[in-house]
Amino acid sequence: MTTVLIVLLIALTVVLVAVIVVRPGLTATRGGKMMAFLVLFALPILCVGMGGAAQLEHSKSTEFCLSCHIMQPYGRSLHVDDPGHLAAAHFQNHRVPADEACYTCHTNYAMFGGVKAKLGGLKHLYVYYLGKPPAPENIKLYEPYNNRECLHCHAGARSFEEGAVHTADPELLPALRANKTSCLSSGCHSTVHDVPGLKDAKFWKAGG
Amino acid sequence: MLSPNILEKRLQIAGILVILGLLVEASCLFWVRPLAFLLFVFLGVTLLAAGSFLYLYSVVSIRE
Repeated sequence: MTTVLIVLLIALTVVLVAVIVVRPGLTATRGGKMMAFLVLFALPILCVGMGGAAQLEHSKSTEFCLSCHIMQPYGRSLHVDDPGHLAAAHFQNHRVPADEACYTCHTNYAMFGGVKAKLGGLKHLYVYYLGKPPAPENIKLYEPYNNRECLHCHAGARSFEEGAVHTADPELLPALRANKTSCLSSGCHSTVHDVPGLKDAKFWKAGG
Repeated sequence: MLSPNILEKRLQIAGILVILGLLVEASCLFWVRPLAFLLFVFLGVTLLAAGSFLYLYSVVSIRE
C-alpha cells in the first residue's frame, strides 16, 4: 500500500515536471516559478525521502537477504526439521516474523543499532558485487553474537526466566544478562545455521 | 524540442534529469533485491540531485 502511494506521488511529480519540460515558458509567471520550485526541488526531495524509507523497509525482508545466492543455504537452514536448530525453530514457530526473520535476529538492538545494521548491509553489498565473497559455510559474524539480541524478546518471558535449565544454576541468568555467558556458544543453543550439515538434514516440507 | 532561451533550456534539462531519476526510483520500488537498493541510491538519487541542483543553479544564475 505504501509503495503504491509513493508510486502515485512519483507519477504526479513526473507529470508536473513533464509540463515544465514541454512548456518551459510557464516559469516566466509567478505561479510558474512556484510550480517549478515545487516540482523540480520540493517534490523530488519528498519522493527520495519516502522512497528511501520504503527501500530500507524492503531491506529488512527475508526475501531481500536471501536474494543473494551465498545467503540461500542460510535460508534453507530455516527449514531444517529439527527443533535443536535455533534459527529453524524460531522461524518455523514464528518466534520471529517469517518475513523479517534475518533482520529480527541479526539487527543490533543497541542505540543506533539499526544504523549499524544498515552500514553492515552496505558492506555486504560491496563485498558481494565488488569484492570476493566467501563461500557460504565460511561466512562469519563481525563480532560474537551478543545476548542482548536474544534478550530483546526473551527477557521477562516466563519460559526464559523460569526455564528449568536457566534456573538450575542461580549464577546463569545474571551471567546471560551481562553477556558473560553466551546463549549460543556456551554449548546450550550452539546449533544455529548448520550450513555444512544441510546436505544430510531433513527438511520441514510445510514451510515451502 | 529544447528552448533557445538559456534559462528555459536549463530548466528543461533539469526536468529531464528529474524525470529519469524518478523513473529509476519508481522501478526500484517494485524490485526487492540489493541491486535495486544500489540503483535507487546511486543512480536514482544522483539523477534527481543533478536535476534539482541544475534547477537551483539556473535560478540563481539568471541575469535580469
